[in-house]
Amino acid sequence: MNDQTSSNISRRSILRGGGAALLGGAVLAACGGSTKGGTIARIGEAPEKAALETEHVSDVVLLRTAMSVEKMVATMLSDSRVTGLADSKIAPFLTKYAAAHETNMAVIAPLVTARGGETVNEPNAKLMTAYGNNALELVEAGKTPADVPNLVLALESLTAATYQYFVGLTNEPALRASMMRLGASSSRRAAVAAQLIRGGTVGFVPGLDDKGEELTATLPTAFGQLSAVQAHIGPLNEIGTRAPLAMDTPSLNSLLY
Amino acid sequence: MIASLLAGGAIAATAPFLASQASAEGESGPSTTAPPHRDSADNAALNAAYVRESRMAATYASAVAGLSGDDQAALLLVHDHHVAYAQALKGYLATEAGNASSQPLIAASGGITALAAQLATLEEETVTIHTNSLETLRGIDAASLVASIIVVEARHVAALNVIAGTSPIAAA
Repeated sequence: MNDQTSSNISRRSILRGGGAALLGGAVLAACGGSTKGGTIARIGEAPEKAALETEHVSDVVLLRTAMSVEKMVATMLSDSRVTGLADSKIAPFLTKYAAAHETNMAVIAPLVTARGGETVNEPNAKLMTAYGNNALELVEAGKTPADVPNLVLALESLTAATYQYFVGLTNEPALRASMMRLGASSSRRAAVAAQLIRGGTVGFVPGLDDKGEELTATLPTAFGQLSAVQAHIGPLNEIGTRAPLAMDTPSLNSLLY
Repeated sequence: MIASLLAGGAIAATAPFLASQASAEGESGPSTTAPPHRDSADNAALNAAYVRESRMAATYASAVAGLSGDDQAALLLVHDHHVAYAQALKGYLATEAGNASSQPLIAASGGITALAAQLATLEEETVTIHTNSLETLRGIDAASLVASIIVVEARHVAALNVIAGTSPIAAA
């Protein structure tokens, strides 16, 4: 009787190979006996991996964040370091504009609650840490009344840019329109602030001063910009210039989820 | 037979993986429908905006004729903005773009103060038209373009009102 198979795989070789595999497995299992069940043996202890929560940028998130930006601007315009430095010509603008931002919060609040969200009544903490507190400290250190309209221009431009940015993230078309009504009002205030700094039709057009530094323009660009707003505030440095403070619109790490 | 057993094992090993994938999809929570980037339903509103902007540009072109110096430069700048808006809208619409209009919206006249008042009114109307159009625009790209126009046209309104003699505190 011929016990040769036509294949290269014989029952004997399978049994031999399988036995070796089982023996190897048993040895490896014995070696890993001191480890916790289901983990790979290693030197030292690593913390358990915590999965990040999945957050969605919903319309409610955008509205809540808008409230926090409005509150931040209202708070900064009402800050004693700013109001204390403002001359009598600028002071009424601070009062009116801060009140306008508080009013905007009241406009947004029902939009948030109608969508099951919680309203916000605090300045955006991340943005205050990123540049808000720094801006107030620079105004205080600069002791220059001209910094006040510059700060107003920057904050109103920032608010308008925030709403412009949010339009591209918002699902409901009707909400996009509501946001841009608020953004347009901030844009108007920015234009007035620019006119207070450099008034008349000459102030419409971008230009340079005799030192080659950029002058404030009421209409610096044809389209609304989403790049960081540059605030020219604070004390002069050793070469007589001021490094602009960059103010960014809210991003994923400063949205209120 | 051995080969078939091995194949069966492979299936048995794969099954839990497939089952976990199915489970993950089932537990992924409510799905949200993202708005489209473009929507042909927006074309009518965008074409209306295109005509409006081209007519705004034509209005400024006729208004600056009697001006000079900074006043002329300022209104030419605003004119150029409207030209840019018309071009952007036409570029967005591409083959769906209608015909522009070179017809001014009004016969603007007078010195810079009078002109600024008339033009501020037109700018205000344009901002309202664009903002209202956002309520119906479905495409995110179109809405973003219109929003970037609104932001600057709102500045036009306030700036022109200040030039027209409106108190700055009342201008915004």
